[in-house]
Amino acid sequence: MTWKQRMKPVAQRLLLFLSIMGPGLITASADNDASGVATYSMAGSFYGYSFLWAIVWVTFGEVVTQEMAARMGAVTGKGLTDLIRERFGVRMAFLVMLGLILANLGTTAAQFAGIAASGELFGVTRYLIVPLAAFAVWFLVLRGSYQHVEKALLFLTLYAVAYILSTFLVRPPWGLVLRNTIVPTIHFEPRFLLALLATVGTTMTPWGCAYMQATVADKGVTMNEYPFTRLDVIFGAVMGNVVSAFIIICTAATLFTHGIRVETAEQAALALAPLAGVWAKQLFGIGLLGASLLAASVLPLATTYAVCEAFGWERGINTKPDEAPMFYGLYTFMIMLSAAIVLIPGLPLFPLMWLSQVVNAVLLPAVMVMMLRLANDGSIMKSWCNSRLTNAFATILAVLITIATVVLLWDALF
Amino acid sequence: MTTYLSQILGKPVWNAKGQRLGRCADVLVAGVETGFPLVRAIALRNGQEPRLIPAESIAWLSPSIILNAVDPPVYEQRGDELWLARQILDRQIVDTEGRRLVRVNDLQLERTCPGGPYCLAGVDVGTGGLLRRLGLQAPLSLLFKFLHREPAEVVIPWSEVAPLQADAPIRLRISRDKISEMHPADIADIIEELDRPMSQALLQTFDNETIADTMEEIEPELQASILGTLPPERAADVLEEMGPDEAADVLADLHPTERAKLLDLMEDEDATEVEKLLAYPENSAGGIMTTEYVTIPMGLTVGQALDYLRHSPEAQEDEALYYVYVVDEERKLQGVIGLRELVLAPPEVPVADIMEKDVIQVGPLETQDEVARLVAKYNLLAIPVVDENNVMLGIVTADDALDHILPTAWKKRLPRFF
Repeated sequence: MTWKQRMKPVAQRLLLFLSIMGPGLITASADNDASGVATYSMAGSFYGYSFLWAIVWVTFGEVVTQEMAARMGAVTGKGLTDLIRERFGVRMAFLVMLGLILANLGTTAAQFAGIAASGELFGVTRYLIVPLAAFAVWFLVLRGSYQHVEKALLFLTLYAVAYILSTFLVRPPWGLVLRNTIVPTIHFEPRFLLALLATVGTTMTPWGCAYMQATVADKGVTMNEYPFTRLDVIFGAVMGNVVSAFIIICTAATLFTHGIRVETAEQAALALAPLAGVWAKQLFGIGLLGASLLAASVLPLATTYAVCEAFGWERGINTKPDEAPMFYGLYTFMIMLSAAIVLIPGLPLFPLMWLSQVVNAVLLPAVMVMMLRLANDGSIMKSWCNSRLTNAFATILAVLITIATVVLLWDALF
Repeated sequence: MTTYLSQILGKPVWNAKGQRLGRCADVLVAGVETGFPLVRAIALRNGQEPRLIPAESIAWLSPSIILNAVDPPVYEQRGDELWLARQILDRQIVDTEGRRLVRVNDLQLERTCPGGPYCLAGVDVGTGGLLRRLGLQAPLSLLFKFLHREPAEVVIPWSEVAPLQADAPIRLRISRDKISEMHPADIADIIEELDRPMSQALLQTFDNETIADTMEEIEPELQASILGTLPPERAADVLEEMGPDEAADVLADLHPTERAKLLDLMEDEDATEVEKLLAYPENSAGGIMTTEYVTIPMGLTVGQALDYLRHSPEAQEDEALYYVYVVDEERKLQGVIGLRELVLAPPEVPVADIMEKDVIQVGPLETQDEVARLVAKYNLLAIPVVDENNVMLGIVTADDALDHILPTAWKKRLPRFF
């Protein structure tokens, strides 16, 4: 046997593994889009290391919710919205869709804010770069030539690794870092709760669950192959959150210790100074631009697709606009509105990027309740219903998020 | 008189004395295989377990649900009923006329005359039905009026839909009869769009030939996974029914042990042909050629050739008989003649006189792009593949040659990121 022949079965097994792996890793790396970086930079610069414990619990939460979604996808072969419509009826599906559109509108606006912020880092006004980017995204995706750009953009998102390198160069007090990772600190102030909710919202999104379930169902993963998928979910969540933790550690070590509270992209970029020196701004700007463009080109399309699927409207970019008016209308509307939000004069970009994630977090409990009921329904899940531990953890999480939301609302109103 | 299911569900049910018995939870119909299934009963919910009331006791369904008895009898289920709210509403259903998968937004119940029986008439899949369900019809009708447009009312007659339910094999068989009459390419679209358990259940009901025809139209990534869901013996039977080139493509995507197992289960004759094809690289002429083609020996007249074809098993197998290839005893390619020329020529003329001797041909390792170029340049419907000794190996049909050149259509999957 030649070397090539001997390697073939190994390569094939690896390919099988890789073809099942993927969605988890991808959803997790999506944590580091514009809103993700903004959220973690903000958290790290305002609360220092004392925010790290939250990342640990958010990771657990992400694993639990995503695993539930992936399992439902593997067992039923259906998307989350399909299941919601078939089990809870069209009104519920409509409300969930409305919520998804709102949350994703916010997140898309955050991406355009990211584009605007990176443009301003290079001295380009947002009134030029945002309309330009919106049109480019709209046009490229509809023309189907988006795949060519995708890889380049994915590569740019690797800039998040720069945070890890930068952290090691700063040499933070690792003992303190470790203690703060394990021992929770809670500040009872609205801003802290907001930061907490934004972190939850950028990591465990209803949208992430819907995407995870759709890809698992789409790939035709069966329960025999499911252990791979579960591994992928756990691995992806851990990887994504390790990077998130490093963004927090890095900003804490560089900015928090010097009393800099991140309110602009310029300040956020300073966290990369130990690695890139005077080029920190450029590194941060290009990375942020890539990540934002990538998310901005996918989110509106995927949202529109899911909505049209749930309501049985004609969809897909191989249909003509007059065949699928809802599809093209909603898609264009999402891009135009979210770009327009960013163009409101005087709107602070950086807070917009992380505040948009609070919407996601507020919606999450509602979706989680439905997911829990679906995942415990024997007629849908057969013998793969939730374990008690999963149920307990998910319920506690939903309750905590709800409490945090109520406290925030209370505080805002009175 | 048309009533919509959405207008009945949840409405109070009154008896002949005007007493409220509960709320309507579901409507049961039977005779799904007919175009107009009759309403058999309604399910009444009053706190506890639903109670079934037979259709005979119903005086009106709309505008209010009124019974003609004070204390109606209980309906005994016979097992052939379809629960409309639970099993049809909001589910996916195949529109056999429009050949697509649709989602049921509402159901139309019809009553031919006052006092007559109610029957299920149609399935509402339009936006209008959706708005009605959401209770948004009234507020939005103003908007639609303003836009000078009507919300799309798309109602498909019940006789032209096939309900899908993985857990109801009998009903699935009724649907199968309607669906399997559709074009394999349309069936393939529906199978691709359905969720996996459902598509499996539906495919299982088809006969091997329908599965094989459908498989040939399905996206390559899905072919292997569908084959995996069939019992191995059945999968081997399906592969035998498929064209050897298509079967080889599917097998090439499988794990080697799986592939060997299926080849073993296939009949020897089919298996050897497929194995031959598997030896060539995927994107070469050999990889995309089929071994189903028709040859005639040298030295025949047109009349003899046609007679030969009538009795040739090769010709029976060949699904698209465009060209007849003339080969010598060693199966070396000598010429080609279109079936049309052969049929139109006088029977006494020797084939050798009218055949094309200078055949456009390719080697088995020729690239697919080159094959496609030749096919396009010479306007061929198929091109023969020969080895270095001019021995005929197979043919590449025009559709297979162009398959990979044409820009791939938008795959119906979510974008990769997120």
